[in-house]
Amino acid sequence: MNAMEVQQEKEDAARERRRRVKHFFRRLPGDAVKIAVIVLFAFPFYWMITSAFKGYYETIQVPPTLWPKNFTFENIKEILTGQDNLMHYLANSVIVTAAVLAIQVAVMVPAAYAFAIRNFPLKNLLFGIVLVSFMIPEQITYISVYLMFSKAKMINSLWPQILPFGANAFGIFLLRQSFRQIDGEVLEAARLDDAGEMKIMFKVALPMCRSTLIAVIMFSAISIWNSYFWPLVMTNSDLYRPLTLFVEKLKQDTDCGLQWNLIMTGNLVLVLPILVIYCFASRQVIRAFTYNGVK
Amino acid sequence: MARIELRHITKEFGGVGVIRDLNLVIPDGKFTVLVGPSGCGKTTLLRVIAGIGPATSGQVVMNGQDITDVGPGKRDIAMVFQNYAIYPTMSVRDNIEFGLKNKKVPKEERQRRIDEVSRMTGLTGLLDRKPSTLSGGQRQRIALARAMVKNPQVFLMDEPLSNLDAKLRNSMRSELIEMHRRLKATFVYVTHDQVEAMAMADMIVLINKGQIVQKGTPRQLYSDPDHVFTAQFLGTPPMNILPCEDGTQVGFRPEKAIFTETRPKGRAFCRPAEIVTCEMLGSESVCKVKLGLQTVMIKSADETLEPGRRLWLSTEDDSLLFFDAAGNRIRAEGEEREKLCRKAAEG
Repeated sequence: MNAMEVQQEKEDAARERRRRVKHFFRRLPGDAVKIAVIVLFAFPFYWMITSAFKGYYETIQVPPTLWPKNFTFENIKEILTGQDNLMHYLANSVIVTAAVLAIQVAVMVPAAYAFAIRNFPLKNLLFGIVLVSFMIPEQITYISVYLMFSKAKMINSLWPQILPFGANAFGIFLLRQSFRQIDGEVLEAARLDDAGEMKIMFKVALPMCRSTLIAVIMFSAISIWNSYFWPLVMTNSDLYRPLTLFVEKLKQDTDCGLQWNLIMTGNLVLVLPILVIYCFASRQVIRAFTYNGVK
Repeated sequence: MARIELRHITKEFGGVGVIRDLNLVIPDGKFTVLVGPSGCGKTTLLRVIAGIGPATSGQVVMNGQDITDVGPGKRDIAMVFQNYAIYPTMSVRDNIEFGLKNKKVPKEERQRRIDEVSRMTGLTGLLDRKPSTLSGGQRQRIALARAMVKNPQVFLMDEPLSNLDAKLRNSMRSELIEMHRRLKATFVYVTHDQVEAMAMADMIVLINKGQIVQKGTPRQLYSDPDHVFTAQFLGTPPMNILPCEDGTQVGFRPEKAIFTETRPKGRAFCRPAEIVTCEMLGSESVCKVKLGLQTVMIKSADETLEPGRRLWLSTEDDSLLFFDAAGNRIRAEGEEREKLCRKAAEG
């Protein structure tokens, strides 16, 4: 390698360095904003999680601590096994969410399949009614639904939290769109393979719309799990109340000040299943909106 | 094996008639090809036979039994679709097995049949793969295997080769012919490609605007067309049709033309010609030739043909076919034919 080549190499390296620095500074403002947004959104979560492992005094201490000085599991023990623990609230939440999802799937899949694939009288009118029903705000139905369940003497049970959500109009709409994307020839091939309509729906069509189904179930699960106002209105006794109302109750227990450590632990238990579901299903949600079939 | 009869089939979509009062007998064990231009109703007809697009009126009869109202799964018919229509979420094995499971075929029997057809279609090593990981040709084989495994009396095929590249199409074409010979089932094959139709068919049914124009063996349709449409649909390039003075038309196949330096004697059809372009196709050339105001296409093995050459173009008298003004064939003999030949000569 002669001197000229060495010189050339040095120049190239210097140029590359300059280019990188320039690139870094050009991107800096954008990256800084992104990081700020992430911190803004993630910090409350971080605060919730760390507070759940702090003692009571540490949560009200000024200045606050970013990381628990005395890491403790007492809070978790307290809300799981304490005098007024969350166990039956948790059970209510699980039962209500599972029951709603089961009924929704049982109603939604055949309804969406029929609207997408089959032809029957008044199909468009009926589908219009489905669409209208998901445009009606939930709040204006409270009183009439409450009265209905009250007359049916079902207020003191889990049913008012389950039955009104049995049909998911948004889910029917989304799943119908997904069924409509299926190549008609595939369904005809199944008919030629002597498959009945139920079999075609569940074995051929539904697996092709799996992502949409998972997305719909996930949205639904989150909304039922997090619902607060509906169960508050529809129940009179703690016996039938879900986890959201337990956390709210912690906030109202103010005899010795707000127990932030317990409130945050309750919140953590409330949020945890949703985080877990999201981690497993986020890929499916994205796929639900980017259909790809086999050509 | 099965003989299918279509009686007075009419099919309408939203009040528009696609097929009108069509009658057809599809012979037992033969390879029948339904051919015609796009939108002529050939796929619609196939769907009527399959039972997945029932006719507006008319009867479908199989082996003497009316199956018009029998469901598609109960007709003992298998169909291969243009886009294969493979179940994308199932493995290759499940795709092939699905129909057998629905028919409640016992497990050992299913296994035996899957092994057999996967060997025949070359899918043996791919049975546990998902269709999305396979090539177009392999997917086509899944569709074939799925049809074959049911051991049906009738195979319906809707342009099954149209999504394959030219080389694969040729090899699959001969495989299908072989498959037909081996299975001895009735095949009904839809295509818009006349070359494919000629190459594969025992019987061609040429359809246009929802009606049968002509049916017969490829040879019959090629050399003895009943209508100008048949003459021009089959063959590459198509038959040359030239108008005569009184509205009749004279036609001859591109390969029947003879070039000579001097005016030939004893041939009725004989015109001075100028070669416009020549496409070399290997063993022969296809030339565009000007005959006065008209242009014809000629196929010839003569290597001396080149653009700009002026020659005499003629045909043997018995190569000439005559059609009336509506395009129907005039089958004239003796004196009458001589009269027509004279008309063609005057052109």
